[in-house]
Amino acid sequence: MSDWKRHDPLNRNPATARSSALYRAIGLGSAKSGAHHWWVQRVTAVALVPLLVWLVASLLAHARGDHQVLALWLGQPAVAVTMAVLLMALFWHMKLGLRVIVEDYVHADRVKFAALIAVDLVCLALLAIGVFASLYLAFR
Amino acid sequence: MLIKSSKQVSRWRTPKRFPVSRNSGASPASRIEPGVSWPEPEGATRVQRFKVYRHDPESGKNPRIDTYAIDRDKCGPMLLDALIKIKNEIDPTLTFRRSCREGVCGSCAMNIDGTNWLACIRSLDEISEPSTVYPLNNMDVIKDLVGDQTHVLAQYQSITPWLRSKTPAPAGHERLQSPEERKRLDGDYECILCFCCTAGCPSHWWNGDRFLGPAILLQAHRWLVDSRDEATGERLDELEDPFKLYRCHTILNCTRTCPKGLNPGKKIAEIKLMIQQRRS
Ligand code: SF4
Ligand code: SF4
Ligand code: FES
Repeated sequence: MSDWKRHDPLNRNPATARSSALYRAIGLGSAKSGAHHWWVQRVTAVALVPLLVWLVASLLAHARGDHQVLALWLGQPAVAVTMAVLLMALFWHMKLGLRVIVEDYVHADRVKFAALIAVDLVCLALLAIGVFASLYLAFR
Repeated sequence: MLIKSSKQVSRWRTPKRFPVSRNSGASPASRIEPGVSWPEPEGATRVQRFKVYRHDPESGKNPRIDTYAIDRDKCGPMLLDALIKIKNEIDPTLTFRRSCREGVCGSCAMNIDGTNWLACIRSLDEISEPSTVYPLNNMDVIKDLVGDQTHVLAQYQSITPWLRSKTPAPAGHERLQSPEERKRLDGDYECILCFCCTAGCPSHWWNGDRFLGPAILLQAHRWLVDSRDEATGERLDELEDPFKLYRCHTILNCTRTCPKGLNPGKKIAEIKLMIQQRRS
C-alpha cells in the first residue's frame, strides 16, 4: 500500500534508493489535523473527572442495596441522563486514546487501517449498548 | 509469541519493538556479544572501569562491549577526558565525536549509565563503577559511539530553521528586537542540537520516521516565538499533524535528559497551545 512514498527511515531504504534524507524526513507532509483530536481528548478527560467521582460515590452509596435498588436508582431520569453523558464521554475518550495506541505501535498500513476501523466501531457499539441500557431502565 | 530468551528473534513485525528484553527483536547482526577486557593500570589506587559499546558495521562483526580501566589520579575530571585517555593510551580504535570539550557544540552526546548526556560535562565523580557508555539510542551506529544524524538533521531542515520574513531588512541596521521580544527566545536559543532528548524519546523510537522529536520541535518553537519571523501561520500549518507534532505524549524523557537544562516537553505543549489559540 502507498509504496510510492513510505515513511520509513527506520526500516531503511533499499540500497538502490537514491532519495534524499530531506525527502524521507518530509514524508507525505503535514496532515494539517490533529488539533481537534487533541482538544476533544482534553474536553472528555475534564468531563470524566466529576462524572467518574459521581459514579463511584453513588455506587458505594448503593453498595448494600440489591439489584432491584440499583436498577431503580439508575432508572431515575436525572441519573439516566447523567449516565448517558458519562458513557458518551467515556467511549469517546476511549476511542481517541485507542487510536493513539494503534498509531503508535502498528506500522503496517493495512493492519493499521483495519485496527482503526475496529476501534471506532467497537467503541460505538459499546456506547450504543450502554445508552440503550440506561434508557431501558428509565422507560421500563 | 512468548519471548523466552534474549537470544530469540521475535517473528512479530507489526507491534514494532515493545519494551522487551535486551537483544530481542534486534536483527542477528545487532546482537551484543562479549568483548575484550583491556588490562588494568598498574599501581593505581583509584581505578575507574568503563563498559563501552564497540561496533564497526563495515567489519561484518557483531557489536561487543569492551571493558577499559583507567587510573583516576592520572586522568582529567570528565568522562570525555577518560575516553581521550583510553584512545591515546589503551586503544586507538575507540571512536567518538568531540570538539569543544565544554558542552557547547553538542558533539559528544552519548548514553552514559543509561542516561543521555554530554561526555565532556559528565564528571567522573558522578558515574557508576563500572560505568556503561553506549551511543545514543535511536541512531544507526556509524562506528562505536558515533551515531548517524542524517535523519534528525533532515528533520531539522524540514522545519525551515531560518528567518522567513516578507518585510525587507531595514537599511543600515539589523532587524531589531526589544529586550522583551528577545527574552521569548530564552530556553530555546541555548539548544546545541546534541539530540540527547530526541534519542531518549520513546515516541521518536517508535515513530521517528514521522515524529519530529523534541529537539526539532524545540527549534520549531524558537522560530514560532521569534518577533522577526513572519511565517508563524505557515509554520503552525506545517506542524499540525498527528505524527509530526501530536506523537508527543508528554512522557518528558526529553526534559529529564537535556544536558543544557532546557524543557523541550514544555515548549511542545506551548506549540499545541498556540494551535489551540488560533482555533478558538
Ligand atoms: S515529552 Fe514528548 S518529546 Fe519529550 S520525551 Fe515525551 S513524547 Fe518525547
Ligand atoms: S533540547 Fe537539550 S537535549 Fe535536546 S538537542 Fe537541545 S540541548 Fe540537546
Ligand atoms: S565536546 Fe562539545 S559538547 Fe561535549
